[in-house]
Amino acid sequence: MRSCQAVSVTGLLGLALLLAGGAASARHEQPSAVGHVDYLSEPMPPGFRVTINDIEGAVFADQNGKTLYTWPLHKLRNGTVGDYKNTASNCTSEVDTVNSGLESPTPAGYALPELASRKSCVQVWPPALAASDAKPVGKWTLIKRHDGAKQWAYDGYPLYTSMLDRQPGDVLGGTKQKLPGDAPGVRVPIGPPPNIPPAFEIAEVGTGRMLVNYSGESVYSWDGDGVDKSNCVGACLTKWAPVPAAEESQSHGDWTVIERSPGIRQWAFRKKPLYTYIPDDKRPHGLGGSDESGWHNVYTLPAPAWPSEFTQQATHIGIVLADSHGRTIYVYRCGDDALDQQACDYPSAPQEYRLAVCGGGDAARCLRTWPPVLAPKNAKAPSRSWTTIDIDPLTGHFATPGQPGAIHVWAYRGRPVYTFAGDPGPGDVNGDAWGVFYGYRNGFKAFWLRDDFYTNAG
Amino acid sequence: MRSLCTYFSRSIVAAAMAMGLAALPYYGAHAAGITNRTIGYVLTNKYWAVYTTADAKIECPHGFNDGPREQFAKLFPNDGVKRTLLETQLAREADTWFPASLEEKTAQGPLPFYYVGGSTAIGLNLDGKVGPNDFTSPEGEPGIDNQLYRVIGCVAGFRPGGAYYFFMNEYMERYAFNRVLIEITNVDSLVNDDDVTVTVYRGLDPLLGSADGKNFLPGGSQRADERWGQRYITRLKGKIVNGILTTEPANILLPYADTFDCNTDQHFKAARLRLKLTPTGAEGLLGAYVDVDEWHRNMAINWTTHHASYGQMSVPSIARALRQMADGYPDPVTGKNTAISSAIQMKFVQAYILHPTLPHRPTVALAR
Repeated sequence: MRSCQAVSVTGLLGLALLLAGGAASARHEQPSAVGHVDYLSEPMPPGFRVTINDIEGAVFADQNGKTLYTWPLHKLRNGTVGDYKNTASNCTSEVDTVNSGLESPTPAGYALPELASRKSCVQVWPPALAASDAKPVGKWTLIKRHDGAKQWAYDGYPLYTSMLDRQPGDVLGGTKQKLPGDAPGVRVPIGPPPNIPPAFEIAEVGTGRMLVNYSGESVYSWDGDGVDKSNCVGACLTKWAPVPAAEESQSHGDWTVIERSPGIRQWAFRKKPLYTYIPDDKRPHGLGGSDESGWHNVYTLPAPAWPSEFTQQATHIGIVLADSHGRTIYVYRCGDDALDQQACDYPSAPQEYRLAVCGGGDAARCLRTWPPVLAPKNAKAPSRSWTTIDIDPLTGHFATPGQPGAIHVWAYRGRPVYTFAGDPGPGDVNGDAWGVFYGYRNGFKAFWLRDDFYTNAG
Repeated sequence: MRSLCTYFSRSIVAAAMAMGLAALPYYGAHAAGITNRTIGYVLTNKYWAVYTTADAKIECPHGFNDGPREQFAKLFPNDGVKRTLLETQLAREADTWFPASLEEKTAQGPLPFYYVGGSTAIGLNLDGKVGPNDFTSPEGEPGIDNQLYRVIGCVAGFRPGGAYYFFMNEYMERYAFNRVLIEITNVDSLVNDDDVTVTVYRGLDPLLGSADGKNFLPGGSQRADERWGQRYITRLKGKIVNGILTTEPANILLPYADTFDCNTDQHFKAARLRLKLTPTGAEGLLGAYVDVDEWHRNMAINWTTHHASYGQMSVPSIARALRQMADGYPDPVTGKNTAISSAIQMKFVQAYILHPTLPHRPTVALAR
């Protein structure tokens, strides 16, 4: 008996999908809002549900619609943080007052910034508490907290909501995107598995949730194919390898198994036959095949629409998102070194971390060196994840309503985005990896849409 | 004027063609390694040139410099004083990215920084002069401009076997971002040719390693990156005298990342190559002025405080020293020098450079 059922959520914001065939031009098409997310449903605790986010896709939410997160064990240079599987939560009501020393090379024991207003871990990450008579369901189990309360767990990991999430579908507390080892111990939203055959995986990249095969190679579709029909034969096959479907594979949902010749079966997604690009040469989640006319990478969910005045610029390793003047867009990332690893990259968090690396502690220099990207006064949010906010330019905190001198800026996932004064022209990315641990711990990363050199790690 | 060797080489080709041998491979009529008046090389090793003696007493009489951990311990001793993260770790990070003009003070005085002493350095005479601060090369050539050596020569990480010395090559060899090619065209002889063109490219392919993993082999192919790597393509004029290629001064841009998650570039101003050429490899120096702001930024990005600790490399101290020792390109307004003379030791192996025709699509198309 199947424990999962395929579920398809279409037109969340009422916007139609653009089919692959419409993306043939060299110009980028603005991604639409969330349109179509297909996942496998699972039994859930009563009241829990699945919501859709335009970056993360399908995520589990509690009875109030708040996204659920785990805090998986994470190895730092001098020790580990996070929760162990099937063990009581390490996120407590105690307020951390000093750094842990786990982020080499700074020793432990120094007083954290803005201590008077610092919250405890459970204030920032309220545990997903269960009723005393709650019963385990499928992968959902119950773990006893140190204070005796019952807490929901998924796949053995205790669950939390984020104080940053306000509405159903918000996923501002964390991301499924894989971060390198020197990143802080972050929280990860959980969700149902995508409804994809076992031969495929989804890579979360700057352009969206991209379909790759089991070994990470990108798959592509071709405008020259018909509906569930491959026309790639002969010379075409010297560059393009049809993605084979096993004998026992079955068509389901967005997926069809086509027979390209007797006994030779090929996967198709949303009626488009799928291929890998032979020159990609096993490189992970490449976009090289999309250089070929009429060929496209395939996304289960394309990236959320960014502001219409933004541009794309060619750099020395690929393509980066840029502002209307061609200046590279950067996101700021920050996680503190307290044991509870609180994020410090959003406007209501302590700004001392950011000010140290963006201006040497000098707010005016920070503003000159890393200016936030100003948004037009009447700018409308193009998607859930790209919005505008008002901030105090010197403190970096949210501005109060009507505050003189406040600036209206573009924000990604609720955080301002920036340009770098050290980029002299379009396509320059001199600020990429600026900050502590390559910009992952306290610093800036360019908004990459394509990176053919895998940031020197591929 | 063409060299005598070039003249004879061409004469041989002409004679061979006259004898009806034109159908033979062109390679057979040329100096070893040259095909169609072209030879390519791929960079396999590079080191900021640091002259060392056995016990370092000559160049570093005061010893080696402190790194981030040692400086942190001196600035913030375990003396029972309660300190904040803002006045310790974050202050040091602030100094890393925006260094103050002077070293921070401890109870014993400012943090010390030791420059190289001695009078010997590896490098080239970049300004054509012999000045009071210039070095003499190990071979006895005076007027060597390498003030970067004064800054980094007593920092353990930059010396042979140090962390920087090791990793700048490790990541160049392992990943493609830093693949550097030079292609010499219009060349008739690797011994003497008074007019050759040298084109610098970024390459796209892995290095060809020997079976024991210890060396790199000539004879591999490398695709020139003429798409994303357009910015690195530089054409230089040069000549070959007694097997030594020397190029005329020009600005060169190279991809320059020491580790993963980084993709920094380094500009080399008034740069010149001096390389001993053979059919299977090339070895020598790149001498140039490097912009101190860029060098500092690249160091800070590529070497986080944690990683810099491996090689006792204090970015704030090195950044201050760079500006102190800068010796070229004065700012027209302030008069302060903005660049510092430097040299990189380089080794190449021969490679066949391919120039593929690539499709160009300037933006990302999202198919759905």
